[in-house]
Amino acid sequence: MYPRPLAPDARMQRGVYMTIVAVILVLWLLPLIAVIATSFRSVEDILAGNYWGWPKSFAIGENYIDVFTETAMWRYILNSLIIALPTVLGVLVLSTFTGFVLSKFRFPGATLIFALFVGGNFLPHQIMMIPVRDLMVRVELYNTYFALIVFHVAFQTGFATLFMRNFIAALPGELFEAARSEGASQFQVLWHVVIPLVRPALAALAILTFTFVWNDYFWSIVLTQSDAVKPVTAGLANLKGEWMSAWNLIAAGTIIVAIPPVVMFFLMQKHFIAGLTLGAVKG
Amino acid sequence: MNRSISEIAGSLPKSVELQAVAKNYGTHSVLKGIDLAIDRGEFVVMVGPSGCGKSTLLKSIAGLATLTSGRILINGRDVTHQEPGDRGIAMVFQSYALYPHMTVAENMGFGLRMVKRPRAEIDVAVERAARILRITDQLDKLPRQLSGGQRQRVAIGRAITRSPEVFLFDEPLSNLDASLRTQMRVELSGLHAELGSTMIYVTHDQVEAMTMASRIVILNSGLIEQVGAPLELYANPRNLFVAGFLGAPRMNFFQATVDAVAADTVILQVVGAEKTISFPAVDTGSLSVGETLTVGIRPEHLAPLDAPMPGRVDLPATVRLVEHLGRETILYADASPLTTIGSESGTGTFTVQVNAVVSYYHGAPIRIGFAPSSAYLFARDGRTLSPRRTAGSGGSLT
Repeated sequence: MYPRPLAPDARMQRGVYMTIVAVILVLWLLPLIAVIATSFRSVEDILAGNYWGWPKSFAIGENYIDVFTETAMWRYILNSLIIALPTVLGVLVLSTFTGFVLSKFRFPGATLIFALFVGGNFLPHQIMMIPVRDLMVRVELYNTYFALIVFHVAFQTGFATLFMRNFIAALPGELFEAARSEGASQFQVLWHVVIPLVRPALAALAILTFTFVWNDYFWSIVLTQSDAVKPVTAGLANLKGEWMSAWNLIAAGTIIVAIPPVVMFFLMQKHFIAGLTLGAVKG
Repeated sequence: MNRSISEIAGSLPKSVELQAVAKNYGTHSVLKGIDLAIDRGEFVVMVGPSGCGKSTLLKSIAGLATLTSGRILINGRDVTHQEPGDRGIAMVFQSYALYPHMTVAENMGFGLRMVKRPRAEIDVAVERAARILRITDQLDKLPRQLSGGQRQRVAIGRAITRSPEVFLFDEPLSNLDASLRTQMRVELSGLHAELGSTMIYVTHDQVEAMTMASRIVILNSGLIEQVGAPLELYANPRNLFVAGFLGAPRMNFFQATVDAVAADTVILQVVGAEKTISFPAVDTGSLSVGETLTVGIRPEHLAPLDAPMPGRVDLPATVRLVEHLGRETILYADASPLTTIGSESGTGTFTVQVNAVVSYYHGAPIRIGFAPSSAYLFARDGRTLSPRRTAGSGGSLT
């Protein structure tokens, strides 16, 4: 099996290996390191053009407090949660239904419907920008939470359906036959057999959807305008205008925004990894 | 016992009745018109080679496969278009199909929970089934904590809990190792005696069929070849397929041409051997001289002879392989240029089963003898031409 572990006594090889790993790691993390470093700097440091050097003075506390006191950060974060959590719920519920039906029932048009779900993923978002904004204005949802919730649910469900369909299709068919022969209705099969067994997949899907919606910038600026509903990604961009060169605050805000998906990943890591390997260890 | 049950059952509706059951997948027809009536309390084993349609037939009875045409009646009720849960059946699957996230007790009570039976009733039913199968101490475990045999018991327990009219088993023992399979076979027979329910059991294992069935149904490419009690089928196979299918080691077949025909005898010239043999036969009117027939002899009806014996015909052969099974010995003897058909060990090879320990060196010349009355004759279309014999005696050598 490759990669083979290096022999403990091959010092030379070990040294080279560790160096390469370290270099790649630093390169990989460089943008993040830069953002973290910037979030620690004082305004003077940045004005002096010291972007990469050791900070002359640390302003960690000030930056991280200021980003909450001087901006509408709380409001933005709350907006993001108000948009992301219902979206995740909606996507999970809908894709469980669609995935179940598309994996276990044969009916005319099933393939076409599935193709539509999958095909939707291949549409470039940019070409939908104007029609979707137009639509939201007309149905009077523009610049509301619902604009983003409805849009994200609609478009995340496509991928989520593909995902759930494949997981449910991988469950042993005899389980469904057993439940049916015991008199369970299709809804009971879904509730008592399918959902408990695809919980890892649901957890994985929840993380993916949450991260996508939380990190979305494009649709946030297309479908919202006011600070009252703007999610945090779009809100952060506002800081650029209000605080001309307050990169330290933007950096601090960025770090804070990055935390929830990371926390969520760790919380659900167990399920997530189980979800990725679910198909391999059925039964 | 069986007879009295069937006498009583004569006045009652049949437990399961299949009427011209047919099933097509596209243009491929899997079941080509099956008619079968099963009495209450029977243990019917459906057996046949892979692809014969036995599992599809079982799923059709369960309602998991829809019929192309025909009717299925359970207890006199037409269930052809009913949901599986409303048919009064319970199915035990090859893979056990236990719900992995439920405990043993939850697995067993699932069916009753789904139809909203009261909690107390479910507990009583689960408790009873667990006691019958001796898994009372496993009730709180998850399926993955159980061994294969225990999982199998839970799967059966789940069926018992629903107290169905008919139990359906789909190759339930094929995932178990040999010794456990023997044990479960005995337990299943015991369970059948204890519950007295109708059981339909699908397997490809003829030992299971022979040992457990009150009646065997032999299926081949979507049609019933023969139905009957195990020993009856063994002694009086209706055709060449059934003769070749039942019995391990398999029946030996070789070809012979008709030399002369009388009312109850045919004299055959063995193809590839300078030998004419006179066999008892029925329905000889249809035979004509020169026609090729198939002769079948079970391995236990062949014996190695040291010298010619009166009443036995013998064929010269050489020993190719000797298998010592302890109590018995299986000889593979080459009688070419005589050709055997579909032999397990190659063309021209006879399988001989000796109920003693015998030793031969490779290539030893022997004579394999048999009584013509123990042989079976098959016409060109496969139908049996030999006279009926009593089930259980089978016209043995002794």
